[in-house]
Amino acid sequence: MAAPGPGEYFSVGSHVACVTCLGQRLQGEVVAFDYQSKMLTLKCASSSGKPNLNDVILINLAFVSDVDIINDRTETPPPLASLNVSKLANRARTEKEDKLSQAYAISAGVSVEGQQLFQTIHKTIKDCKWQEKNIIVMDDVIISPPYQVENCKGKEGSALSHVRKIVEKHFRDVESQKSMQRSQAQQTQKDSTLSS
Amino acid sequence: MRMVHVLTSVVGTKCELKVKNGAIYEGVFKTYGPECDLVLDAAHRKSTEPSTGPRKEDIVESIIFKASDVVVVTFKDVDLNFARKDNFTDAAVSGRINGEHKEKDLEPWDGGETHNSDSFESLDTDVSNGWDPNDMFKYNEEKYGVLSTYDSSLSTYTVPLERDNSEEFLKREARAAQLAEEIEASATYKARVALENDERTDEEKYTAVVRGERETHTLENKYIPPGQRNREAMSWGPGRQNSPRLGQSSAGPPTPRPGPHDYSPSSGADQRVVNGGSSHWPSPCPSPSSRPPSRYQSGPSSLPHRATTPTRPPSRPPSRPSRPSSHSSHLSYPSSSSCFSHHGPTSPASTLVKRMSSEGPPRMSPKSQRTPRAHRVPPCRTSGVSPGVDLISHNAPGEASVTPSTRSSSSSGGTWSSVVSGAHRPRSPRQNSMGGASPGSSSLPSPQTGTAPVESVNTPTSASSPTAASPAPNIVTSPSGDGKLQFKKCLLRSSSNPDPPCEMVMTKPARDSADKPKDLPLDKASTVGREGAEDSVVVIAAGTTSGTSAPSTTTTNTSKPDSPAAMSPSTSAPDQKRTGLDVTSQGVQTTATSTFSGPKHEEKEEKKEAVQVRKSTLNPNANEFKPRFNSQPKPANTPTPPRPQGQPSPSIVVQQPPTVYSQTVCFPQMYPLTPVSPGVQVRYTPMPHMTVGQSKPYRPGKVPNMPQQRSDQHHPPGTPTMMHPATAAGPPIVAPSPAYSAQYFTCSPQQFTSQPLVQQMPHYQSQHVFSPVMQGSARMMAPPTHGQPSLVSSSTTQYQEQTHTMYVTPVSVSPGPMPQQYPHPSATLHPHPQHPQPSATPTGQAQQGGPPQHGGPPSHPAASPVQHPQHPQAAAAECFHPPQQQMYSALAPTPPSMTPGPNPQSPQASFPSAQQAVYIHPQQVQHGYNPNHMAHVQQAHMQSGIVPSHHPAPTHPPMMLMATQGPPAGPQPPMPQTALNPIPVSSTTHFSYLAHPQVQPHHQQQL
Repeated sequence: MAAPGPGEYFSVGSHVACVTCLGQRLQGEVVAFDYQSKMLTLKCASSSGKPNLNDVILINLAFVSDVDIINDRTETPPPLASLNVSKLANRARTEKEDKLSQAYAISAGVSVEGQQLFQTIHKTIKDCKWQEKNIIVMDDVIISPPYQVENCKGKEGSALSHVRKIVEKHFRDVESQKSMQRSQAQQTQKDSTLSS
Repeated sequence: MRMVHVLTSVVGTKCELKVKNGAIYEGVFKTYGPECDLVLDAAHRKSTEPSTGPRKEDIVESIIFKASDVVVVTFKDVDLNFARKDNFTDAAVSGRINGEHKEKDLEPWDGGETHNSDSFESLDTDVSNGWDPNDMFKYNEEKYGVLSTYDSSLSTYTVPLERDNSEEFLKREARAAQLAEEIEASATYKARVALENDERTDEEKYTAVVRGERETHTLENKYIPPGQRNREAMSWGPGRQNSPRLGQSSAGPPTPRPGPHDYSPSSGADQRVVNGGSSHWPSPCPSPSSRPPSRYQSGPSSLPHRATTPTRPPSRPPSRPSRPSSHSSHLSYPSSSSCFSHHGPTSPASTLVKRMSSEGPPRMSPKSQRTPRAHRVPPCRTSGVSPGVDLISHNAPGEASVTPSTRSSSSSGGTWSSVVSGAHRPRSPRQNSMGGASPGSSSLPSPQTGTAPVESVNTPTSASSPTAASPAPNIVTSPSGDGKLQFKKCLLRSSSNPDPPCEMVMTKPARDSADKPKDLPLDKASTVGREGAEDSVVVIAAGTTSGTSAPSTTTTNTSKPDSPAAMSPSTSAPDQKRTGLDVTSQGVQTTATSTFSGPKHEEKEEKKEAVQVRKSTLNPNANEFKPRFNSQPKPANTPTPPRPQGQPSPSIVVQQPPTVYSQTVCFPQMYPLTPVSPGVQVRYTPMPHMTVGQSKPYRPGKVPNMPQQRSDQHHPPGTPTMMHPATAAGPPIVAPSPAYSAQYFTCSPQQFTSQPLVQQMPHYQSQHVFSPVMQGSARMMAPPTHGQPSLVSSSTTQYQEQTHTMYVTPVSVSPGPMPQQYPHPSATLHPHPQHPQPSATPTGQAQQGGPPQHGGPPSHPAASPVQHPQHPQAAAAECFHPPQQQMYSALAPTPPSMTPGPNPQSPQASFPSAQQAVYIHPQQVQHGYNPNHMAHVQQAHMQSGIVPSHHPAPTHPPMMLMATQGPPAGPQPPMPQTALNPIPVSSTTHFSYLAHPQVQPHHQQQL
């Protein structure tokens, strides 16, 4: 645990690398360090590569070895912004509901395609839920397995047409992804054949 | 802390949590505990086998993980700014954008080589600014078939008016013309036009406004007669500059000054009203306030000095010589009576008042009057005693006037000249708002009076002449010139100025003396008054000198001189006296000239006499107060009073020099006076003025720091006074500054007096404008006559100082304070402008002046050490502080000094002590600040001391003289400075500073 820094073992803003007892190597910028609990928080670049998002890692230094301070920052860390607690609470609630909803669908034996479609629709239209294996969007449109465009039923209107567009696009994207993966797989195969 | 923040910011996000045994749980991060325990909602154990998702039955509502069990928790794709409350603030947005778009590097735009030369040149050289008219015409003709012309009648679109000689048409035409005339004559129209044509700077408009507002407020709150208000309004209407200045801040550099002038007339009316409150004077002067008043008076006196001093030199010199007290009386009268009595009380004074008001009083008067009135009136009424003091002082002055003149002439022959010069300066400023134009004097004067420049020039000459010639002549000349100029400026009120510049001066002195005597008699006893008169005279002289010198040095000098002279201040006393005399003479001259025209002065004198009588009635009360002051405070009180006096006079002087200053000075003087008994009012007013003046001066202030500090210092002192007036004087003040309060408490009588002062103040206020000098003299007088009173006054002065700081509160509390504040602001503003010009020297002088003004320095002699150090520390700040300190110190110091000479000598002695104390402080302060300053102060002291010779000052006088001589750039300069300083003293440093700058200019001019 040895880390330089008076008062704080890790100064905020410095970059630290370490290896957990489970053999996982972690590296990131120190965001916070709690001396009492020996908990270190690192901020890393998002694993998904999104520029405005970060991965935050909370590390228990009691189970970490090989702590290296890659570089230490002496600058005073920026002031902490006040947080909108209610906003956080809402996020926690919605996240939990989403997960429970997903679990419900899984429990109901919904296919992976159906789950993927649900996730896609949910990104655009929050008001969607599972009813057994049917996806109900806005209490208006019902998508029943196998969840194709023609399976979208409901009162004719903008809602139905809109949902259909989403579903259509979803499967188009899925197809493109599959083709991409296929091409990549083929590419890898070719490479492997060539190399071999 | 940061851990809490980070964990909180990731609440509600999905996370994977690894525990010791390698199991991974996934859930929504719900919350965390103090031991870093983590809570996951809807968590499930993530199976090693990649699966679509958890089954419903796998999900646990929530799991609490102990920190000791957690190995790693990973929050993926978290937006750390998600919950930031300032998501939409510039900082938040820019912060995010900066982070997101950093990769986008800015590229310099290369306009393209091909287009650069041609296109750019065409833009630069294309004068057509769009379509050429001919092209437009052509286009219209081609496109719309409209033939455009330059015919302004727009005959294409309109029908020409058919003019005929029919009766109906003529009627309508006349009607239209009438309507147009009405519209164009309306105040609204003029005001709007003035807005458009207003070339004043924002600073003038707004910075000045502050002062003006104070003035206006003071006027409004106090007794500004409707007529005056209307006048103000008028002034606003016609020339916003003036009016704005007046309204917003009389201090408004040049323009404001003019406004003040305008106001001054109104203030004159106020003064008159105040005069009605003449009782105030008596009360203030009589008692405790006497000493404080002395300071204030000094301040006021300085203002009054202009009027009074001038008068003294000319008319009184002869008579005065016989009675030293006359000086004090003169001073006091000038400050209080001249300003107030002349203005308000005495109907004859009305003319005088008018003149006074027109000259400087007006400026001052509004503020001083207004504030003073309220304060003064209450104080006076409450503390009838104080008035007695004033009366005494005044009475003494009357007699003493002769002595003063002699003193002034003898000791301050140079001083007179300096005074004259100072007076000139002030006047010039007053007259010419341009004041700044005038070299040395211009700075101070100009601030006061926008037009000052011309006058200032004149004044310098006059000043020089005075110095060379006998004081009186010089004074007369200068006064006349100043008076003329001022009057001219004041036109409204004082068209007569030109008439008897000399006479005015003479008369003014006489009036001052008379007023002073009156005040003194009223307050305590004529005897005391006489003695006090001498003291007062000295003080006045100092005040005037300081006032004239207003520019820092003079004020300081004067203040110092006064204190020295009065007390033992040893060197300082003499110097102060000398300077004081000189200053007073100068100040008187200036004030007298400026405020009073010869005839007016005479009338004023008569009025003053009447006032004196009135005051005499008041005096009884004052007497009561006096005892208190004398008994307890005498030592301390007297000292303090002296300081105030010294300070006041300087401040007064300062104010007087410039019209604005004069006004402000007057106020300060007024305040000082008030504190002291009759002087109390005066003192209060002076204080406010001082504060205002100081603050303003500082603001304009060449040195920002200085001003602030000064303001602070002054304010503290002023505030106290203000406080007194406001609350009844005591409580608020006490609260403001503990030390001060303590002093004040000691001076409890003072508090009472303060109230009286307040009451008196009104009177003073009315008179103040004119009587700054008078007040100063009154203060001076009060101090002398009321050794004890002086104590009170000192306390009052201190309070005043505090009040200055407090101003706002005081104002609110009591109308008087408000006005004072306002006036002060303006005064300060004026001073500042002037000071600024002198800048380097001025500041130094100012500083010096400040200390002297503070009077505290003089009194400080005992306590001074501490104060001195402080003073030295920050010249500007010190100045302010010094006053306070001086005040305090004065309280403490004064006692000693008081005990020694004051009591024995009687009023004069006491006053001198007080003065000396004050002066000493200034000196010390000055010393601390600058050697030169010190010298100036010393000079001032010397002068004052010389003048007061009677006073203990003698010992000090030598020192003072030496000092003064040294700085001299002129003895005269010192004198003027002292004169100015006196006012500053009351207002304390501010004035002194202001005064100093002016003084310096004057000196320069003289030199």
